[in-house]
Amino acid sequence: MTDQLGALTTIFTEFYYWITVVLMFLIHVGFCMYEVGASRYKHHQHTLMKNTMLIPLVTVTWFLFGWWIYWAFPTGPGLAPSIMNESAALITDESAFSAKWYLPNSDLMAVNLGDHISGVFWAAFLLFSWTAASIVSGAVIERITTFAFGILAIAIGSVFWTIDAAWGWHFDGWMLKLLGYHDAYASGVIHAIAGGFALGILAVLGPRIGKFSSSGVPRNIGPRNPWLVTIGLFLIYTGFWGFYAACNIPIFNLGPEYGMEGVTYWTATNIYVTPTTLSGITMNFLMSLSGGLLAGYVIAKGDPFWTYSSGLAGIICASAGNDLYHPIQAMIIAMIGVVIAYKLHYWVERKFKIDDAVGAVAVHGYAGFAGLVICGFVLNGYPSSGYSVGAMWDGTTYAAINPLGMFIGALIMFVVLGFIPGWIIAKVLHGMGRLRIPREVELAGLDFDIMEAAKDDEKTVASSS
Amino acid sequence: MAVTNWIDHLSAKEVAGAVYPGVGTEGVLVLIAVVIWIGWHAITAKQEEDELKKLVKRRPSSNAWKSNVTDG
Repeated sequence: MTDQLGALTTIFTEFYYWITVVLMFLIHVGFCMYEVGASRYKHHQHTLMKNTMLIPLVTVTWFLFGWWIYWAFPTGPGLAPSIMNESAALITDESAFSAKWYLPNSDLMAVNLGDHISGVFWAAFLLFSWTAASIVSGAVIERITTFAFGILAIAIGSVFWTIDAAWGWHFDGWMLKLLGYHDAYASGVIHAIAGGFALGILAVLGPRIGKFSSSGVPRNIGPRNPWLVTIGLFLIYTGFWGFYAACNIPIFNLGPEYGMEGVTYWTATNIYVTPTTLSGITMNFLMSLSGGLLAGYVIAKGDPFWTYSSGLAGIICASAGNDLYHPIQAMIIAMIGVVIAYKLHYWVERKFKIDDAVGAVAVHGYAGFAGLVICGFVLNGYPSSGYSVGAMWDGTTYAAINPLGMFIGALIMFVVLGFIPGWIIAKVLHGMGRLRIPREVELAGLDFDIMEAAKDDEKTVASSS
Repeated sequence: MAVTNWIDHLSAKEVAGAVYPGVGTEGVLVLIAVVIWIGWHAITAKQEEDELKKLVKRRPSSNAWKSNVTDG
């Protein structure tokens, strides 16, 4: 950094992403509170630990290989050539955004005076990874082993979601070029995939003891601490707001980037490097939250658990196109998504005996899937990338956003990279006898020993006084 | 190489970006991280298995936890 303006821009961008990372930490705080509030007393501490330990597990593996995958895989490989090197192989050569710089032994993966951005960008994506794993965590509470969850958290947090991000979120991703995929704030790349992955696990894991009667009728196991659930969801909303900012590039000159001669155009962009405004997406975030809450309150007849979750589902559904929607469109799309998610949740529960303890598959998976499909219709014809009009991509052009491409994209997220890997890994863990805790422990409570020890401690203290 | 003098470091013709101790040993550090990561899974998997087996042997009733609730 040798001139002051360049230095200011760099430091501003570094600080911008740093702030978003801190804000997004609240998502994880919220998920922990939410899960503990939803679990029963006898499982509280293990539930908390399960979700907490995904932080170091996903972080370490994200450092070791997750971040590398994101930069290496935009081409598939083998599905569409890169705009950087025109090759369809993994991007590990000397290209501008080569994955070679993000190997764990690269000197850019550390304090480096020549690079002020990689670390905060790495961290922003890492927080997305925690979120993907944490979504899964809520669905499987009270019966999965911590060992199995650790493996599954790494699979979704450091492997499968980062593959989908390379395919459908990277500006060079093959899904943009061939399908016209557009998912600005991750309806699919975080939420649909995590919901699908959770559903795949649940199909193998089975319901909590007592969830279904002998005739198969589902019973409600409501949240044990509604206040903790409330604060948890408010914190998730707050962190999600930070996530929206994290998905943008705060300041970028699109003229030279698109190869437009003599044109200077400074703007904020979404992750695809197409223009949007922080101002506009803030309106859309709040209007989709509102649409979700309004619809959730009606459809769940004022049930607080579902109303709060619906606020989240509303944002998730509108997120794919919230960089461009009108705020009222965002609100309506959110309402549609909530109705679909709520209805599907109970239908799947009854039909397939799936016990999704916190409604994660519905709120994230079904609402995310619906959001992608809706986006294909509402943004039909919009360019999926600015590079289609510029110099960097001189082969065939990027496909425009379209309903069929978005539907296929939704299937890739929910089924191909979500449900199927979740189901397979859960099957393997089940085959090893390591997926589910023993029945006796589930009935007695995962915290039985901890609680007994606490009681003994208390007796000792009481007798000494 | 460790930085010993910032003025010399920053006035060099080409400023070296990497300033952490042990530049060049990143590969070894990565190996250590992998061992810690895999080792953690191995240790905690064993701990969890033992804990679950122990509890299964005791067969507490589904209401036994209630007598363990501490409150003050």
